[in-house]
Amino acid sequence: MIDLKSVSLIYQDHGKEVFACKDIDLGVQPGEFLGILGPSGSGKSSLLYVMSGLKVPTKGSVEWLSRELGKMGDQERAEIRLREFGFVFQYPFLIGYLTALENVLLAFPAEDRRADAEKFLIELGLQDQMHRYPYQMSGGQKQRVCVARALLGSPKVVFADEPTASLDHKSGRAVMDLLIQNRGDGALVVVTHDPVMLEGADRIIRMEDGEIAPKNA
Amino acid sequence: MGGANKVKNKLGATVYLRRNLGKTMPLIGVIILAVMLIAGIVSLINSIPLSIKTIYSYSRNYVAVTPRGNALLTPLLRKSIEQGSPVEIDRLMVIRGTDIEVKSIVGNWPFVVLGLEQSDMDYYLKRMKAKVLDGRKPAVGEPEVMISEKLARNLNLKLGSVIQKPTDSDNYSPQEVKVVGIAESEFWFAFGSVEYQRENHFPPIDALLVFAKNPTDQKRLDDWTTATLKGENARVFTYKELEIQADTMFNILYQILNVVIGTLVVVITLMMGMLMNIFLSQRVQEFGLLQALGYTKRSLIMRVFWETTVFVIGGWVLGVLVAWGLLNVVKVTLMDPRSFALDTLDKWAYLYSLPVPIAIFAVSILTVFAKFKNFDPVGVVERRLV
Ligand SMILES: Nc1ncnc2c1ncn2[C@@H]1O[C@H](COP(=O)(O)OP(=O)(O)O)[C@@H](O)[C@H]1O
Ligand SMILES: [Mg+2]
Repeated sequence: MIDLKSVSLIYQDHGKEVFACKDIDLGVQPGEFLGILGPSGSGKSSLLYVMSGLKVPTKGSVEWLSRELGKMGDQERAEIRLREFGFVFQYPFLIGYLTALENVLLAFPAEDRRADAEKFLIELGLQDQMHRYPYQMSGGQKQRVCVARALLGSPKVVFADEPTASLDHKSGRAVMDLLIQNRGDGALVVVTHDPVMLEGADRIIRMEDGEIAPKNA
Repeated sequence: MGGANKVKNKLGATVYLRRNLGKTMPLIGVIILAVMLIAGIVSLINSIPLSIKTIYSYSRNYVAVTPRGNALLTPLLRKSIEQGSPVEIDRLMVIRGTDIEVKSIVGNWPFVVLGLEQSDMDYYLKRMKAKVLDGRKPAVGEPEVMISEKLARNLNLKLGSVIQKPTDSDNYSPQEVKVVGIAESEFWFAFGSVEYQRENHFPPIDALLVFAKNPTDQKRLDDWTTATLKGENARVFTYKELEIQADTMFNILYQILNVVIGTLVVVITLMMGMLMNIFLSQRVQEFGLLQALGYTKRSLIMRVFWETTVFVIGGWVLGVLVAWGLLNVVKVTLMDPRSFALDTLDKWAYLYSLPVPIAIFAVSILTVFAKFKNFDPVGVVERRLV
């Protein structure tokens, strides 16, 4: 579904080239749970953002359903992110002046999915948070609202970059369970430095210095 | 309304504004104050030439001619007007005049008490579209006047009040001249008996008031008289001349006003620009997040565009309403009691305040464009920015 061919992402750091990703070949299959494991600075996030079209690779190509993301315009890439992908980030980013429900509805700027969103939040056990503002919720609660936002509308791929890193272990576990159990038919790509969080993954790759480590777990 | 509207409401232009009142109210307050200040100053300044035009608007109804250098010229002037007039003349009055002073917000202005023949008084009232409210017309040779209600209010005069007296050099007459009649009219006027003035006032100069038969011809008669008597030993008084004087008299004042308002707009816009910049920077996280989720730059810029539009138009409309309200209070409590003119719907006053919202709008849109130009949402969600 997603195909990376010899993808490199190079940053210029004080005139020096830094390979955040180096010559990566990788595919994401429909419905799979792919774990990306690696120490800090190994290029996990970079890989995730390249895969999801948030970054354009310096070299190589990323294809979504056989269409190269790098050749699309910003507008078209944004459209794909909005309709086909879901995102959970390390920090539980919610818009401060919107309620949990309204934040979840951000995933659908053009349609009225209020009823769906309410139902979904109840399904996810977030009915008590529904009408609260972010400042009235704990970090774990906020991150679960973010998961709901990512999952609403059953996206084809959900990308999660260290979704548990800012949380204590118990909340982190709850967030992961929520993601895994409610993704439906969608693929799930999770980046983390904590192997415990990848329990139940179909496939795990390890990143080291921007490259995929030879032996996969 | 359908579902689509409901969703629009969710992130409609007013959501941010409504839910962040702590930030938006002070900004709207500044716009309101600026608009109010500018509209207020401009209409008060405009009220000065407006007052002058109002006070002397009676001259719209006739052209007045006085001889110059030689008091004996009047009959000749009369003859040349009667013979050459391009429009039918309804009446030509031979009159006298003495000075009084009326009040305005910028001090006293000279005004004339006409001396009329008894036979001309009713005609004069008719052409001033006046209706006698109280009292009677001045009697032959008596120290009496009839005045319009607006003049009465301005000078605080009632029936029996003294309008001119021997001890008042600005409103002088050798006898005490009393108000014996008050008439309702849109015009300001005062007239007494021509016999009294001939007897008591100096210099002994007869002037002419010339009324066109058809009021719509008056302007043509005015222009013709001005052109014909140009260079003659005569002085011609027309409304047009007065209008030109009133409009040019304050040229320098208006130039100063423009500089003051220009400075005000620049200062307020800079201040608002800085505040808007701060508030938009506080929303970088919001915009980065939305862009990462798949919102286009365009849609985010449009959001700020609509928010700003609602905000500046709202502020301006409120400012105009507050200005209008305050001007009405000023008009009723301070201006009307003395018949000072003030136009609370002065379109120039409100137009002059338009640069405030426009400049603020421009600054915020430019700020947003500058911010979005090289904006990387990954920087936001990775917390490298913010
Ligand atoms: N915007 C950037 N500018 C310069 N270097 C960057 C930038 N983003 C990431 N890097 C570098 O790329 C490498 C990989 O970073 P990242 O993908 O964030 O790793 P991880 O997510 O595994 O911690 C690091 O060496 C990091 O310093
Ligand atoms: Mg990372």
